[in-house]
Formats: sequence, C-alpha cells, structure tokens
Amino acid sequence: MTAVETARDVGATANGGGAVGPHPVGRRRERRLTGATPWLFLAPALLLFVVFKYVPMAEGIRLSLFQVRPFLGDLFVGMDNYVRILEDDRFRSAIGRTFLLAAGQTAGAMLIGFALALLLEGHARSLWFVRSAVFLPVVAATAVIGEIWRLLYYPAPEGFINNILSFVGLGPLTFLDSPDSALWSVMAVGIWKGAPYDMVLILAGLAGIDRQQYEAAEIDGASTWQRIRYVTLPALRPVVTILLTLAAIRGLRTFTEVYVLTGGGPAGSTDVWMTRVFSVAFERNELGIASAGSVLLFLITFALTVTVQLYRRRKAS
Amino acid sequence: MRTSRRSVTAAAALAVVGLVGSACGTSSGGAQVQQDPNAPFEVWTRSTEAPAKVYAKLFADFEQKTGVKVDYKPIFTDFEKQLQQRAASKDLPDVIINDTGSLGTLVQQGLVPELDRASVVGNGDIVERAWESAKGADGKYYGVPFSAQSFVTLIRKDWREKLGKPLPRTWADLADLATAFTTQDPDGDGQANTYGMLVPGTTDRGYLAWWASSYLLQAGGDIVKADGDKYAVAIDSAESVKAVEWIRGLFCDSKVVVPGALTLNTNDAHAFFESGKAGIYHTGPYMFGRFDQKLGKDKYEVIAPPAGPAGVGSLAEGENVYLMAGSPRVADQKKLAEFLISAGAQQAGMKGETQPVVRLPVNKNVDVETVYNDARWNTVAKLYQDSAKPFPSLPNFQPFRQQTAEGLNGILATCATDVKGELSKLAGNLKKELQAQGMAK
Repeated sequence: MTAVETARDVGATANGGGAVGPHPVGRRRERRLTGATPWLFLAPALLLFVVFKYVPMAEGIRLSLFQVRPFLGDLFVGMDNYVRILEDDRFRSAIGRTFLLAAGQTAGAMLIGFALALLLEGHARSLWFVRSAVFLPVVAATAVIGEIWRLLYYPAPEGFINNILSFVGLGPLTFLDSPDSALWSVMAVGIWKGAPYDMVLILAGLAGIDRQQYEAAEIDGASTWQRIRYVTLPALRPVVTILLTLAAIRGLRTFTEVYVLTGGGPAGSTDVWMTRVFSVAFERNELGIASAGSVLLFLITFALTVTVQLYRRRKAS
Repeated sequence: MRTSRRSVTAAAALAVVGLVGSACGTSSGGAQVQQDPNAPFEVWTRSTEAPAKVYAKLFADFEQKTGVKVDYKPIFTDFEKQLQQRAASKDLPDVIINDTGSLGTLVQQGLVPELDRASVVGNGDIVERAWESAKGADGKYYGVPFSAQSFVTLIRKDWREKLGKPLPRTWADLADLATAFTTQDPDGDGQANTYGMLVPGTTDRGYLAWWASSYLLQAGGDIVKADGDKYAVAIDSAESVKAVEWIRGLFCDSKVVVPGALTLNTNDAHAFFESGKAGIYHTGPYMFGRFDQKLGKDKYEVIAPPAGPAGVGSLAEGENVYLMAGSPRVADQKKLAEFLISAGAQQAGMKGETQPVVRLPVNKNVDVETVYNDARWNTVAKLYQDSAKPFPSLPNFQPFRQQTAEGLNGILATCATDVKGELSKLAGNLKKELQAQGMAK
C-alpha cells in the first residue's frame, strides 16, 4: 500500500503537482497548520479594516439614532432622524436628482468609453500614447478638475467654451449659472472624467474576444454594425456588468464634482445626496440627521450591489 | 455572501460595543473640573498665517506680563470640525477666539459655560454694542468681545472717475453706477467684459444671506426680528420684499452682476475685484490689506453702503473670546480675556502686517483714527457705531442663514416674478425652525 501511494505521489508531482489537483503532501501540511493560520495572515488587513472601516461605520449607524451633542451627551431619538431627513423636501428632491445624475453619468460614460475603446484598440505605439492622454482625466484630482471646468464654463461671451461656440454661431450658454442647465453641465464633467476609465476596462474586454469570430462574421457577410451588435457587445457582457455596478455606486455618492462646481446651486438645482448630507452635517451641525442620510445611502448601495450579484449568479447558472 | 453576513454580524457587535461605550460616557459635561495649574493652556484662533503671527506676539506679551504660558494653535480650515473632534473626546482647548456668529452653536452644544460679565476686569471699557454680540438667546453672556467690524462697499475709483459718475449715496445711484460699469467699458479695452456688482452668491455656508442681509437692513427688512423675548420671521415683510425685488432687478433686469455669481464663493469672488472684472463689492474691511497689495490702494475707495428706503444699514460682525467648558485653568482663562480687551492688547492687535486681528477695537479707550491713521477705517468705525446690526442671537442662527441663502438663490436663479410668494414660502420654513428652537412667539 505504501509503495503504491508513494508512486502515486511521485506521479502527481511529475504531472505538475498541486496545480492540477489536491496534492497529498500539501494536504498533509495543511492538516498540520491550525485553523487560525489564515486568520493570522489576514490579521493586519482585518485590523486596519476594523479600525478604519467597520468601527466608523458602526459609529455612523449609532449616531444616526441620536441627537449629537458631543459635550452635553447625545440624546437617543430612535428613528426620528430618519423621519426628519425623509420629510425634508430638499433632501427628497436631491434623491431624485442623484439618481438622474448617476444614470446619466453611467450611460454617458459607458457609451463614450465604448466608442473610445473601439477607436483606440490596437498595439501601435501612437495608440498607446493617445490612450494615456485620454486616460488623464481619471487620474487628475477631482477638485482641480472642478476648478478648471468652472473656468471653462464661465457663463459670459468671453468664457472659454462660449468663445468656441461663438465661432459656429452658438451661445453664449449659461452652463452652471442657470437651474435649467447646471445639472447637465455637471453631468458632462462626470462623463468626461468617467469615460476613459470605462474605456480601459472595455479595452481589456475587447482584447479577450476571439478574432476568429470577427472573421467568421465577415465571411458570413456581416456589416461593421452587425459585427459590433452580434459579436462585440455579447462578448463584453461581463465587463459591462462590472462597469454598471461600479459606476452606479460611484454615481450615487458623487460629491466632489458637485461641491466644487456649484456647491449645490443655483437654486439647489445640482444638490445631490452627498452634498445634502454634507450641508446638514457641517453647515447645520446636525450630525445625527446627516448620519441617517449616510446610512440610507449605504443601504441603497448595498441593496443595489447584492441585486446585481444575484442577477449575475442567476445568469451564470 | 457568507463573508458579508459575517461582517454584518461583526458590525452589529461593534455597534453594540459603541452603544455601551457611549452610554457610559454620557454623564453631564458641565461638572466641575479638577483645576491643574500644570496642564497646558491651549488657545485656538481661526487664522491664516499672517494674522497668526500677530496673535503669537500678543500671547508672548501676555506671558511676559502674567507668567502664563500659552500653547497657541492657529487653525483656518476645518476649525469647527477639529473643535467637534476635541469636544467628542471631552478635551476642549481652554480658550478659542472665533466669530460672534458661532456663539449660538457653542452654547447649544454646551461648549461654553455662562460668564459673569461683571466679574471680568475692565468690562466697563467695552462698548455696549460689542457686548450684545456676546449675549446668548437667553440674555446671558457666554463670551468676551474682542473685535468688531461692519461690512462696507468697495468701489473702483479709477473706473468711476473715468465715467464721470458721482459717489453713490442711494440705491438708485448704486444701480446707475453698476449699469455704467457693465455697459460703458470702464477699463477701456474695447470689450464688454466688465460688470457692476460682485456678489458671492453661493448657498455654501449661507454666503448669499450674509451678503444680502445688509441690503435687507437698508430697506428696513430683516430675516427674523426680535419680538419681546422671542422672535418673529421678517423675511416676508413688505420691507424685505422690497429689498429682494431690488436685488432681483440687479440680477435679472439690468443684469449688472458678474456671471456665475449664484455659485460663487468668497474666495473665488475676491479675484473678480482684483483682476478688474467687477467694480462694486460689498465686503468686510479685512480685505483692505489684500486689495491694497494686489489691486493698489489708489484704485479703489471705501464708502458706507448707499442708503436704501430705510437709510444706511450694514451687517455687524466680530469676534469673541470664548472661555471653553471643562478647562483645568479657569483663573487663567479669565486672565487672558481681561488682557485681550485691555487698551494695550487691542492696539497691538490692530497692527497686523496685512491683516489686523482686532479690526475695530471693542475698548472705548482705543481711538481708531490715531491707531490706524487711515480714513477708510474711520468709515468702518462710524458705520459700525451708527448703522450696523448683528445677526440675531438665536440658539442656532446657522439654519436660518442657510435656508435664507437657499431661498434667495432660488429667486435670483429662476428670476421668479412672484417675489412675495417665494418669500412667504421661505418664511413658512423659517417659522418652523423658530418653533423647533423654541423661539417662536
């Protein structure tokens, strides 16, 4: 028996070992290590997570149930904070606007990202350079981007974009200065910043598509549009799912762009979830109510993520 | 899924720990604190680098005089946030010097105990109007006044003279001058790229209400008005409506306000005046230093705001010395406050390189004219004395300023014609806030 087992061991090792199947030697070592070992390896990361993520999260949930008065002692108010924030008209309209902004930014960034990816796919050196240039908005600091777009959007004839528009006989447009156009202008900045990120992920997806499928489609007489519609898009589905999840979460918690570009104005027309929470917390000093707002956002993002995950799993099985 | 369920359990467990921890910590904050002369004596001011140097010198003088060493920390950004953090750990700085406007919040959160005004040595030397700014909604005092100021109107002198316009004395003059600045190319570059009024009209921190409140006062209106020992909403009064209609005219009819004003914060706004894009700016006298350097002292003039239907009016503001709760150095807190209001310290505080830390002295025995030797400061002093009015001392004025800014911003952005209707809506919300704070009649 022993001899046979040894032989099998050698065989398995010769075959490439544990990479193929469970390796007996490995299994034996695993048994010797205690169950705590993986946790020990995880401990540093877990500790950081607990201190910097879970404890603040728990604290946020706690604060959402109190009227926060650091020096006098917090007063327990139960769900009162949630009721007050949900009854607040400005907060309610901010929720609608947040979803609109998130949807617009997600769709816009995805479309433009897809177009960019199709244009810039390939291995040429010049493409590599252009791709890096296109990617710049993603790595630039959002606050800086906001200040620069404020200048570009300057709503007078001498403003940069209005100046360009005047060459083709358009404008001057109001951009951030009018409640009718402010949200769209913010959305455009979001798309400008988000599209290159989507492009990179889509490029990775494109690289994974078998060239032969394109060739087969071409032989069958498919037009360029048909090839995109029936070959490229279906193959990109996993990438699109991930992008949708990421973009939706990013879209819901938009803050910096709006805060720097408009501060929520004019006439509250660009006020979104997080700017509202910020304003309640640090302008009105109602930390409890602001925490309630944040917890609600967390619950919605959580629900959204779980839904996408379940949907994907059902698709996969 | 398994991991996330586990982390939810962990979060719940942590939440319970947090609850227990806080329950243990909610004993009363106002209890007598053990005095300890060896504890560090911490003083915070909301200052940038230049004024911080003036403060540092003041505190060095104080140490020389009394032997009390000050552990000084100037903070500019996030002052409130850092204060909240220290409050959460129940270890506040001993003294802070901050806006009079923050008094309500400090009192509401119990960060400053009541102060016996009569026990402050030299309290009689302080002008009564300044003491008003240290008074809480309950009529008790919670701080010692340190500096005062009122908003003034800055005008591009060279532009005005070029166009041959007189100094504005009334709203009509001001509107006329603003129109001239916008349409008659005062900088002579042949392009229509100048504007009359510079308005930092963002709703962020309620700036628009800050700016607009002077104009409300000039029309005899207000955001809320004292009514006995309580308050009544005044933003929808006929006088306030008149003021807002006039401001709306500047934005929507004559269009003399800089573009983008409704999302403009003060920091970005200053640049419009410096770079010659706007000619009229209603702002605080602390800007003199910066504009002298970047624009030139001879290029602009300082006047009291032109009179509205109810005469001249301007927002009064200032800074108080707050003696914070839970200090182990109560005697030294008072000693420092008494030093800071003395004539000597007030004078020293007025001599800053670019920014004085004492704008107008609160001490009667200090003469603005002799210390500054600058006619512009005399204008500020006279305005403060005769026609300035502070925000009301409600328990927390911030929500009022914020909602008023948001309401006005809406009117000016949509150019709504039914100003009265819009202001009534705002008044309804302000009334709710008054009731929530227990200050409605």
